[in-house]
Amino acid sequence: MKKYLSPLIVGFGAGVLSIVPVAKSFGCCLIIPVAAFIALLLDQKANNNYSKIEIKKGLVFGLLTGLYAALFGSFFDFFITFITKNNDIVATYSELQKVITEFPISEALKDEVMSILAGVVEAIKSTGFSLLYTLSVLVNNIVLNSVFGMLGGIIGVQILNSRSRKNLD
Amino acid sequence: MNFYLKLLFFVLILLWVLGIFIEVIIPQFDNLAFLYPFLKIIYSHVCHQQPEKVLSIDGNNLLVCSRCTGIYLGSLVASLILLFVPIIKINNIKYLILATVPMLIDVILYSSGVYSYSKELALFSGILFGIAGIIYIYNGLQILLAEKRKGKN
Repeated sequence: MKKYLSPLIVGFGAGVLSIVPVAKSFGCCLIIPVAAFIALLLDQKANNNYSKIEIKKGLVFGLLTGLYAALFGSFFDFFITFITKNNDIVATYSELQKVITEFPISEALKDEVMSILAGVVEAIKSTGFSLLYTLSVLVNNIVLNSVFGMLGGIIGVQILNSRSRKNLD
Repeated sequence: MNFYLKLLFFVLILLWVLGIFIEVIIPQFDNLAFLYPFLKIIYSHVCHQQPEKVLSIDGNNLLVCSRCTGIYLGSLVASLILLFVPIIKINNIKYLILATVPMLIDVILYSSGVYSYSKELALFSGILFGIAGIIYIYNGLQILLAEKRKGKN
């Protein structure tokens, strides 16, 4: 467990940042890749080991950082949604409705899409929980954060190895 | 990295980029309208989607901001080129840093009010970063495959 402590710590931080509106807009899609890099950096510092890192380790650290960030981020998202009975989907519902009604598609199809969306929004407004929203956010966060984390890990290893080489030179 | 692995990456990136253009695609493929609310949620987790920073085509907004669009388009273009061009081994990180500098300068300058947000600048700096990013990712994957081969021998 101690071996993978830094992805846990940084993943927690990234999970929190990914739901804070201002931080979210600054970090954009770079929060998770940067978190994976920081996890590798912290691991180097904690173990005082600056030797060459294998890409495999970067992948594992990136994956774990992404997974932890997804789990913590999703948990905070669901918790806040449950308490406030409000979230991004509810806040942008009228805008989404407007966009969908403007699509040049059949009325029947529009109604079906709108009814799915309305069901999600109604459930969140009344109980603070929607199964469809919960599942889609959870799956989406786990898949996306894992992929972005691994990509960050791959690049992170190259940055750290490049620094180590410079120090050796 | 063999051609099929690179092709797989290209297809995955292409699907991801097509998702960004869902509003533009829906008029051609009606049934994809079901995906819209879900894609809106998916991309909201990788981008702030601030309306004033989002590009639009014929009144149809993209699902991510200009900079993110640039990053993903840059990745797509680079992955397409790398399908046919062998990956050169890169040992230092200076090209990635060089590609990141325009993006950082743009973020710092518009955030500090030196100039107002420019979608074109954000797109261009994003494309540069996306191209460099994918080259380093491919480079890393190549090193990973070499590590695996070394482990086997």
